[in-house]
Amino acid sequence: MIRLQDVTKVYKGGTVAVKDMVLDIPKGEFIFLVGASGSGKSTIIRMILREEDATRGKIWVAGKDITTLPSWKVPYLRRTVGTVFQDFKLLPNKTVAENVAFALEVLGRSRSVIDKQVHQVLDLVGLSEKHDRSPNQLSGGEQQRVSVARAFVNRPPIMLCDEPTGNLDPSTSVGIMRRLDRINRTGTTVVMATHDHAIVDAMRRRVVELEDGRIVRDESTGRYEEGANS
Amino acid sequence: MTRVSYLIRESFVNMRRNLLVVVAAVLAVFVSLALALSALMVSELFRVNTLQWQEGTHVIVFLRDTRDGIGLEAHQSLLREILDFDAVEGAAYVDKAGAYEEFSEMFANTPSIIREIDPSVLPASIRIKLKDIKKYRDIEFRLAGDAAVRQIVAPGETIERLAKFSTAIDVGGLSLAIVQGVAAVVLISNTIRMAIYARREEVSIMKLVGASNWFIRIPFLIEGMLEGVLGAGMAVLTVTFLRRWVSSFDGDLDIFQLVISDDYFYRWSLLFLLFGALAGVVGSAIGLRRFLKD
Repeated sequence: MIRLQDVTKVYKGGTVAVKDMVLDIPKGEFIFLVGASGSGKSTIIRMILREEDATRGKIWVAGKDITTLPSWKVPYLRRTVGTVFQDFKLLPNKTVAENVAFALEVLGRSRSVIDKQVHQVLDLVGLSEKHDRSPNQLSGGEQQRVSVARAFVNRPPIMLCDEPTGNLDPSTSVGIMRRLDRINRTGTTVVMATHDHAIVDAMRRRVVELEDGRIVRDESTGRYEEGANS
Repeated sequence: MTRVSYLIRESFVNMRRNLLVVVAAVLAVFVSLALALSALMVSELFRVNTLQWQEGTHVIVFLRDTRDGIGLEAHQSLLREILDFDAVEGAAYVDKAGAYEEFSEMFANTPSIIREIDPSVLPASIRIKLKDIKKYRDIEFRLAGDAAVRQIVAPGETIERLAKFSTAIDVGGLSLAIVQGVAAVVLISNTIRMAIYARREEVSIMKLVGASNWFIRIPFLIEGMLEGVLGAGMAVLTVTFLRRWVSSFDGDLDIFQLVISDDYFYRWSLLFLLFGALAGVVGSAIGLRRFLKD
């Protein structure tokens, strides 16, 4: 589903964020990217979204080399990828339902389709009752569930999550992870960059550890820290 | 259809949210375009008036009469001679009676002057219209020594100066209109830049969920276009009232006509409305360029 082949990213000023990376993520996999700050996790997510261009190497997403994708086609790539971020990225002047509907309005879906899909996905994240609230009236966990709903409402084959539990308390984080796990079980590939030991250790999914832009560990059912497997 | 209604709705939501900035932009466009349109109207007034003068008499040749030993036969012979000149388009003979009639019309409001004047002292004249107004000096030169000629008056000289003045007004008016037009584009561009800056978070989220650049651009382009059209509409309305007000004084100044033809006015008004829309779209596009590179 996602393939990085000898990918290097050098930022202006010479900082090397990712170096000669080779990574294969099959369809339907749930993968954690772990590592210290500055190890290259977010850069990988940004490159898959084409928010950053790779300096060298190739990146395939759903069978397409996105490093050669013309910029006018980038929106089409992003429509196949749902994204969840630490800071939720919700629009404060729209209601919960409008925030989710926004992702479909952008695609030009009809009103009836939008209403139906928004209702279904809010049900999935347990926020049907609060569809007309403003994001400011919700807790952090609820806001992140809205963000997950927006990322998934279009049923994308890939979900990219950058520290989705970074601003949440442990019990709320578990709630978010349950939703992401449910989404993964529908066949969606989930790539999640995280610092959350507890989550990674509890989920026991594939773990790729990065250090200075290189992969130093790749385990199919790993824990957050190396050697902690039992 | 959902998409179209969404884009239009977004434009109005944008404008409502940044109402003060929008009002400022509309007023700025209004002032710019009202000045530009007024400048064009003033230059048109000058053009119309000088044209009218240019079409009148260019040279008046006052003639000696029987008191000077010159008979009517000499007048007619001079008229025929003048009509043969290449530079002359036409010439008309006004006899003493005609001159008195003209004089009476001119001083209709002051009958005492008319009573005082002896009709026989008013000279007969030949009124000449030239093919090219600049040739009036040739005519003066050719007729200067003629025994029948008392005096040659050439309003052409004044008209020629007025024509030059009118050209200067034309160029000045057009330059002002162009500068004000550019100012309108810059002002709208700045407003849209502020609007998109205020919504940069929203724009980044739109990009994240896969909105194309055109989808993001269109509401801002519609907003710019509406601002341009509103500003231009207000300018046209204001100049319409000004035109009516100025026209009401027509006739007060004998030598200067204050009426601009409907055809000219409506044509320019329509062009200004179109320009307002175009300036809005172009201004928005410039304002958006920096924020929507990829």
